[in-house]
Amino acid sequence: MIVPILKRLAWALLLLLVQVLILDKVHPWGYGAPLLCPLIVITLPMGTSRTEALLWGFGVGFVADIFAGTSGISSAALTFIAFIQPALLELMAPRDSEEQLHPSFSEMGRWNYFQFIALLLLIHHIIYFALEGFSYFFLEDIAISMGVSYAASLILIVLVEHVRNPKK
Amino acid sequence: MHDFIERITAYVHWALFLILEVLSGFLLFQYNHYQGSVWFTQANIVAAMVHEWEAEALSYLRMPAENAALARRNIILQQNIDILRHELAQAKGDTTTIKREWTNSSMTLIPARIIDNSVRRRDNMLVINVGSDDGVAPEMGVVSGTGVVGIVSDVTSHHALVMSILNSHSSISCRLRGTEYFGYLKWKGGRPLRAYMDDVPRHAHIQKGDVVETSGFSNVFPAGIFLGKVAEIKNSSDGLAYELEILLSTDLANIRHVNVIDNHNKAELDSLLSQ
Repeated sequence: MIVPILKRLAWALLLLLVQVLILDKVHPWGYGAPLLCPLIVITLPMGTSRTEALLWGFGVGFVADIFAGTSGISSAALTFIAFIQPALLELMAPRDSEEQLHPSFSEMGRWNYFQFIALLLLIHHIIYFALEGFSYFFLEDIAISMGVSYAASLILIVLVEHVRNPKK
Repeated sequence: MHDFIERITAYVHWALFLILEVLSGFLLFQYNHYQGSVWFTQANIVAAMVHEWEAEALSYLRMPAENAALARRNIILQQNIDILRHELAQAKGDTTTIKREWTNSSMTLIPARIIDNSVRRRDNMLVINVGSDDGVAPEMGVVSGTGVVGIVSDVTSHHALVMSILNSHSSISCRLRGTEYFGYLKWKGGRPLRAYMDDVPRHAHIQKGDVVETSGFSNVFPAGIFLGKVAEIKNSSDGLAYELEILLSTDLANIRHVNVIDNHNKAELDSLLSQ
């Protein structure tokens, strides 16, 4: 019980460090940086209680917010995708999957898992950039920032997932 | 009864979801950078420490470029002094007045290093490695070798949170060098080198490349500190004035070393203004 949580905590800390120390400084063409933190929520295994998922989402978001000076933005977006992740996972997991399915290319299939990542990430980015740009009158700028960050995050997360857990 | 409890617990996550989202919303809307707690920001002890290690490691990499910028700025200033000295000599017939060392005793500069910085958000803040123990207080101006950087908004004992000029709430009193036309420099998001100066009257003679500097009206910055140059002259939205697009002189994405301006007369001036 405690070992998987500790493992996940270490994984979360690693992702947060990469986010804070490297990715927050990267601005492709001056626009939004890639966001890696959603991966912690995306990879929550099947059977995680919804309460636990929500606490992971909020906790990671809260820490990311403090380091990036975006109070409330990451925590709101990550809490939201943590809320829908379990239901979406059940919907998109292969029928014959095990009970403790870990979302990954090898266990869900390449195309399925890609869609799963792309969808959760899109919802996350829409919330994140809508909140960041609150009362922002340059709609075009938010849209570009969101698009650039979404593309960069998606590529990065797919790469990380391939390295972490290549398809059999 | 058992059934009832089961039904309630099935909905616990809904309640938790709502609570956490409301909490996020509270952090987003209630908390702001201009007053209140500094603890939920990049300037809190742990975040500042991590950013400080990182800044330490990176500062060596950027030293050559920073030095070059400072050297260039020094040369420009020396040239300016030279020109002024000549003009003064011509005007007064002698140069003895300028030979006394000129010191502005009402102002001290506190050197600092930036340990966290952002330029991509709409409300950008930075964190510097000096705080109240070093004499830094809210509303002090922050400048670099190339011009204005921002205004201190919150301090802890060893760090300070600075509202960057790249912040939608930033508004810096400025003027066109050599004229009496003044206005406020504002940033509207988007590109980190473009800001705007509003309310310049239509009869003002302005050219692209004119220098924009601080006006000295605000007590935060002394007059004459470089802000940028006029890049584009546009009509304001109501058509009654010009809106100048300013190319900022300081590339905030690329600075490490700054100075905090401690204006000793500020308290006096503020109390005078509030009367």
